[in-house]
Amino acid sequence: MHLFWKDSAAVRPDRMILSRTLCLLTVCGVVAFAALTARLWNVQIKDHDRYESMAIEQQTKETRIPAKRGTIYDRNGNAMAVSATAYSVYICPFELKRYGEDAQAVAAYLAETLELDYDSVLKKCGDASTWYKTIKTKITPELADELRAYISANQLHSLHIEEDTKRIYPYGTVACHLLGFTGVDGNGLEGLEAQYDGLLAGENGSVSRLAAGDGSQMLLQSYEAYNPGKDGCDLNLTVDLDIQYIAEKYLDQAIADYDVQNGGCCIVMDVNTGGILAMASRENYDPNDYLAVSDEVQAQIGSITDADARKGALAQARLAQWRNRAISDTYEPGSVFKVVTLAMGLESGAVTEGSSFYCGGTTTVPGRGKPLRCWKSTGHGSQNLTEAVQHSCNVAFCRIGLSVGAPRFYDFVERFGLFSKTGIDLPGEAGSQWWTWDVFCSETNLSQLAAASFGQTFNITPVQLAAAISSIVNGGTSVSAHTVQSVTDSDGEIVYEASEEAGVRVVSSETSSKVCGILEQVVSGKGGTGRNAYVAGYRIGGKTGTSEKVAQDAAGGAKEYIVSFCGVAPIDDPEILVLFLLDTPGAQTGIYISGGVMAAPAVGNILSEVLPYLGYEAQYTDTDSAVLDAVVPDLSGMTAQEAQQAVGEAGFACRTVGRGGTVTGQLPAAGAEIAAGSKILIYLDAAGYDSSAAVPDLTGMTFIQARTALETAGLYMDTTGAWPGNEDAVVTAQSEEEGARIPCGGVIHVTLTDCTDTGQ
Amino acid sequence: MIRNPEYPEGFSLDSQSAIHERELRDYSKKKKKRRAPFDLPFFILTLIILSIGVVMVLSASFASAYYSSGDPTGYFIRQLGFAVLGIVAMLCISLIPVQLYRRLSVYIMAGTLLLLLLVPFIGTERGGATRWIDLGFTTFQPSEIAKLAVIICFSAMICTYGKKMKTFRYGVLPFALILAAVVGLLILEPHLSASVIIIAVGAIMMFAGGTRIYWFLGVGVLAGGAGYIAVSKLDYAARRIATWRDPLSDLQGDGWQIIQSLYAVGSGGFLGLGLGQGRQKYLYLPEEHNDFIFAVVCEELGFVGAALILILFALLIIRGYWLAMHARDKFSALLVTGITSLLAIQVFLNVAVVTNLLPCTGISLPFFSYGGTALLLQMAEMGIVLSVSRDIPLKPEKTETAAETEKTEAHE
Repeated sequence: MHLFWKDSAAVRPDRMILSRTLCLLTVCGVVAFAALTARLWNVQIKDHDRYESMAIEQQTKETRIPAKRGTIYDRNGNAMAVSATAYSVYICPFELKRYGEDAQAVAAYLAETLELDYDSVLKKCGDASTWYKTIKTKITPELADELRAYISANQLHSLHIEEDTKRIYPYGTVACHLLGFTGVDGNGLEGLEAQYDGLLAGENGSVSRLAAGDGSQMLLQSYEAYNPGKDGCDLNLTVDLDIQYIAEKYLDQAIADYDVQNGGCCIVMDVNTGGILAMASRENYDPNDYLAVSDEVQAQIGSITDADARKGALAQARLAQWRNRAISDTYEPGSVFKVVTLAMGLESGAVTEGSSFYCGGTTTVPGRGKPLRCWKSTGHGSQNLTEAVQHSCNVAFCRIGLSVGAPRFYDFVERFGLFSKTGIDLPGEAGSQWWTWDVFCSETNLSQLAAASFGQTFNITPVQLAAAISSIVNGGTSVSAHTVQSVTDSDGEIVYEASEEAGVRVVSSETSSKVCGILEQVVSGKGGTGRNAYVAGYRIGGKTGTSEKVAQDAAGGAKEYIVSFCGVAPIDDPEILVLFLLDTPGAQTGIYISGGVMAAPAVGNILSEVLPYLGYEAQYTDTDSAVLDAVVPDLSGMTAQEAQQAVGEAGFACRTVGRGGTVTGQLPAAGAEIAAGSKILIYLDAAGYDSSAAVPDLTGMTFIQARTALETAGLYMDTTGAWPGNEDAVVTAQSEEEGARIPCGGVIHVTLTDCTDTGQ
Repeated sequence: MIRNPEYPEGFSLDSQSAIHERELRDYSKKKKKRRAPFDLPFFILTLIILSIGVVMVLSASFASAYYSSGDPTGYFIRQLGFAVLGIVAMLCISLIPVQLYRRLSVYIMAGTLLLLLLVPFIGTERGGATRWIDLGFTTFQPSEIAKLAVIICFSAMICTYGKKMKTFRYGVLPFALILAAVVGLLILEPHLSASVIIIAVGAIMMFAGGTRIYWFLGVGVLAGGAGYIAVSKLDYAARRIATWRDPLSDLQGDGWQIIQSLYAVGSGGFLGLGLGQGRQKYLYLPEEHNDFIFAVVCEELGFVGAALILILFALLIIRGYWLAMHARDKFSALLVTGITSLLAIQVFLNVAVVTNLLPCTGISLPFFSYGGTALLLQMAEMGIVLSVSRDIPLKPEKTETAAETEKTEAHE
């Protein structure tokens, strides 16, 4: 440059102007533009992806396509939880401000139409820094249409309606603890809904299109992206709705009959697979309206004056009704655990079927200060193994436990899976509480071992016990408790299936069959504590349990008990197990509080319906036929001889009235179900008498006594409860009160109970 | 000290400086003989940039034009009209010898100050600022004229003061007073961005004219200190800086505009979405055919297109300075330097704001931003540059002979 200017420097603008202009040229013409280009590179190339995605997010309007939540089916394909279309309303406060829409008018309309609080809606509308405030979810399609009309009439930009789904449980409270429920946002909060939330929910789809800043379609631009999403998977449960229903029915009935204070639970398990056929718990709730508590509880809460306390009580009540006690509560299983001890004794060889035990009412245990007392203070005397189980003798089981020895006992407990959770596919399973190895296996103090032998001083959950006993009676292999048989995706493909693998062997099949044999004697043998569970025509095994609630005792309160019964059927080739548990039966009913009296009949009732449902045919013995209910045949028009023959075939006796040749009437009427052996009155060409009879008091009578007493009065009976052939079973309830007058030939419903079990 | 009758009052020259001027080939008082054709590269670069600018106005404005009036080409047609008018104006002005402006410089300055003084009274208010004067058929901003007026006036003053530019009394004080008057009036409107541009262009003129460097350093340090105090003490300034550093922090307010601009620039990527295919102009990007039209350019034409346009601007500016350096006389050189620097400052500030290199303020992009009178004025300025270029002889040999001839003439 210098050379170029050399000769003309004098005639040009002075040198300083030139050099300074050159400087400006460099700065303004080169450096500045280099800086701008570098900046452009940074924004356009380096940060391109970031800004592009942000820009596209702003420019595209996404419409959500909610995934359909999967259905929960029972094992027969009954839909227990389904999703239906609903709508949710939300407001975009940012748009509300931007388009200058009248927040107060909108809020007033929404508050009125959707029955919401005006102030809180207005507050939502006012927060202009947000784009999305949910006003209400799960509104009906009709209401959604009304809102749409309002939106288009007022040309609102800020109010939006989205498709949503609503969860419906067609069977109401049935299996509520298994199913659980979903919250306002559709997420599973309890039960299977929570456990399998990810699978059930699926993935929401969306439609995106370009939109101008005011939400309208962009000119000359079209772009649409469709993401179909994925509907949720369906669950196919091992649960059988019919069995569930039966279990719940008898659970409710028992709770009502025995004035049970703290509810209870019932597990019906497939002993071979560990699949849950039914699981019920009380208190319960309706998952369609899971926040509502029962009227009774609501009344109690309503009487609390302090608002905070009331709120707290309501929250507590909700938690209590949502609690699945079958898996979340631990308890001392008491005598039902003797099944496990028995299996240990037989498996380890510590006892044999021929072993004999002497119970004098007490026994001493090394390390235990006081002598250990049997529940029967006079003692059971000399008994063989079967009798010891039938009697549920604590002294005998203490002996068995001590013979097994603490280390082996501890190993067995681990083998039966009682130290660990069952891993059942439900949320909220509790773990067990046991003595540590050091304490339990102390050589000088055997009191822990002694108490554990008959199910005390440790805590386990009902489902743990059910799984442990299942593994003992099913031939000796472990099972894992589960509720889901398979999961199918929206295309019908199976994405998960419960393992069919055989479990680990825990006891030999010989031990298993010996235990089953002894358990059958508890139910059907004379002197067994579980005879109330006997179902005529079926072979059932079981074990009673009555455990004192230690915490309650320690607190110095009235004695409270958990009564339970574990039934297994058919005992010659076990298929199902029913564990039935009642927490704190009322002391006021006058009924003796024990598992044999309270829980065993319920299990008997459940099995009497479940076994025929599962296709097992009753195999009646002659003794059964002599005492069971039978249907009175229609005798009209028959000759006397024919009538007598028909009555005899149906299992009844008869008495004829009149001397005619053909039957003109009968008592009771044809089709009535009454106890076998009852005397049918046959009228031969004679007018029937229609007088009434006074109902006698039958309480405490045996079956035969009660039938005779009623016959004398001209009445008949049918029976429920204990097997009428059991001479220890006596009437504990009758459908008509003593002294009531009913027409002759009427049928009284009589409940029989074996009250032998007056202990554990 | 003698009064030069050719100079209006206020410009006094002593005899020594008059002689000095003559030695420096001050042709302002000489008659022009023959004029060469104007500089073709500068002319063509101007036309190319103008054409691209007008096309971009169409692309950037059709969405908002459609939404507001239903006529998507409304803004475009108007801008095209002014562009054609601008080309005519440029060509006409290129015929006018620039020495005329030196003679008129005092009147131009006085008239500008008068206009600026009137703006608060007769101006039209938009968005809280009174910057426009409505002429009925169009509106214009006197601040645009003020920019050119400062350039003309300063050029004339520098020529007049000559070597005395090195002193404070001549080299700083009069310029500072004029700048203070102009900026003071602009602040009343208020019009911050125009003030910044005028101060910058004024400073550049003084720099080119020979004011001592340490004055710039001193004022620079003072301004920096004042700026620092403002940012640390004034809530408003601090907030502006915060928004600049992190536009997302104020998405609802000032950050909105710059974020929308960055979305547009950033989503352009390397090759852009294609001419007319931008999306940010659909009611997202504010001022999309005015101050932020370059964001639309970046979005649609990508880094390649944007960089190409920047290169065209850079070439135009370099050519401008080149013409300044080759200008026949000092006044022309300073005039072209001023006009070119003004162009460079506006382009730099606009693109820097659009890409968030500098805090957001309203600065239009020459030849691109929609606005008839502003475009006319820019074309007029280009016309002045072309007029200067006409006095530059085409060939170096000729330049030498011409210079020789002129040298002889000067010594006569």
